Amino acid sequence: MKKNDVILLAALIVAALAGFGGVSLYSKLSTREPQAVAYLDGEEQGRYPLSEDTTVEIRQTDGSYNILQIQNGKAEITAASCPDKVCVNHRPVGGQGESLVCLPNKMVVEIENGEELGIDAGTR
Amino acid sequence: MKKLRQAGILVAAVLVLAGVVCIQYYNQKLQRYEGQFFGSFDTVTTVTGYAKSQKDFSEKLGLLEEKLAHYHQLFDIYHTYDGVNNIKTINDAAGKQAVKVDGEILDLLRLGKDMYARTEGKVHIAYGSVLSLWHDCREEGLRSQEQARIPTEEELAKRAVHTDMDDLVIDEEAATVFLRDGEMSLDVGSIGKGYAVQKVAEYAREIGMEHTLISVGGNVCAVGGKADGTPWVVGVENPRPDNGEPYIATVEIDSGCIVTSGDYQRYYEVEGERYCHIIDPDTNMPPQYFSSVSVRTKDSGVADAFSTALFNMEYEAGLALVENMEDMEAMWVGKDGQIRYSGGFNNDEEK
Repeated sequence: MKKNDVILLAALIVAALAGFGGVSLYSKLSTREPQAVAYLDGEEQGRYPLSEDTTVEIRQTDGSYNILQIQNGKAEITAASCPDKVCVNHRPVGGQGESLVCLPNKMVVEIENGEELGIDAGTR
Repeated sequence: MKKLRQAGILVAAVLVLAGVVCIQYYNQKLQRYEGQFFGSFDTVTTVTGYAKSQKDFSEKLGLLEEKLAHYHQLFDIYHTYDGVNNIKTINDAAGKQAVKVDGEILDLLRLGKDMYARTEGKVHIAYGSVLSLWHDCREEGLRSQEQARIPTEEELAKRAVHTDMDDLVIDEEAATVFLRDGEMSLDVGSIGKGYAVQKVAEYAREIGMEHTLISVGGNVCAVGGKADGTPWVVGVENPRPDNGEPYIATVEIDSGCIVTSGDYQRYYEVEGERYCHIIDPDTNMPPQYFSSVSVRTKDSGVADAFSTALFNMEYEAGLALVENMEDMEAMWVGKDGQIRYSGGFNNDEEK
């Protein structure tokens, strides 16, 4: 093999490895801080980092509402207009993929980039 | 010679690139997906499984959603649907006429009668008249804390007269159901979701979802283990998580179901006292034994029925019942936080 061929081959391998590394590095960098994402009927309403304590009202045009509170790295619904209050009764959540759901109001809060709990599903 | 060498290098380059593509394709094959949908059985359904692509997974998820919605309509006690005779249709015709129904409603009602017999009446699908009274009180109480009240003994006793299981008349040949007592009603809340989850899990296997975990509002069913052969890890929610862990136990399953009945999701309070949505047919009151009971067994409908039954009876009686059943294990969490298991409930943990 000529010197140039070796260089070309090496360059190809380096390029392939760099592409690989780049992809995994990108996916690492793009995982951001843990946050609660609120949805109404499937549409995203807002993102709230779990690191900042806050209280927001998720209100709909018909007057129905859910109060989302972020405290100590966890999200919970502290009040709601729904008849069953299942969302209010739900424990605070902060784990990856955990969610708070208010079915009557079609409201969902989902945790993104949360701590891995090692649980595939919860029975309750 | 030079051309040969160039060709060799070209081949090497192609091989490297092909390798990259192959590895990425292989990774894609093992992709795990999770999907959610709402609406059926007033709760959230989460499906975790494996597919070659998001599109493939979404299509199958859509099929499961349709299937579950079908059962939701059949077992609904609050709404009627065009062209469907459901449980509400039967209730509306109570004391008047027999209603022709789908074979799966007959199947569900048979399960209900069977569970009633096996649990000493602690699971009672003909108990709708009492349950609806509690339901109304709960919703009023949640709407206005000051007005919250529990039904009076007289009100309950009056309703309880109309809960005779023998007045639920099933005509297998004609495929009809008749409620002989005009004041009675069916409420299949204790078994309907479980029955539906079982059917949806069987359907998932039929359409090739061989490594799937289905949770319909915490009613969990496994169709095989994970794609790598390891079991799914199911957490049992802590019924009083105020200052503790979100889960109080974990169970590993690669088949079968686990269902929990608890006092911490649907309840209301009257003068500081908690009244949950499960009512003991023997007292007409919410039982005060446990904050949750979980049951694992192979059939989801049976698991659903027994979690309710065990919630309604003392530990000793419940344990005897569980030990009598083949392939069933249970976990009881007392109001004081005390946890008890039947023999094999968390064997997987100890392995």
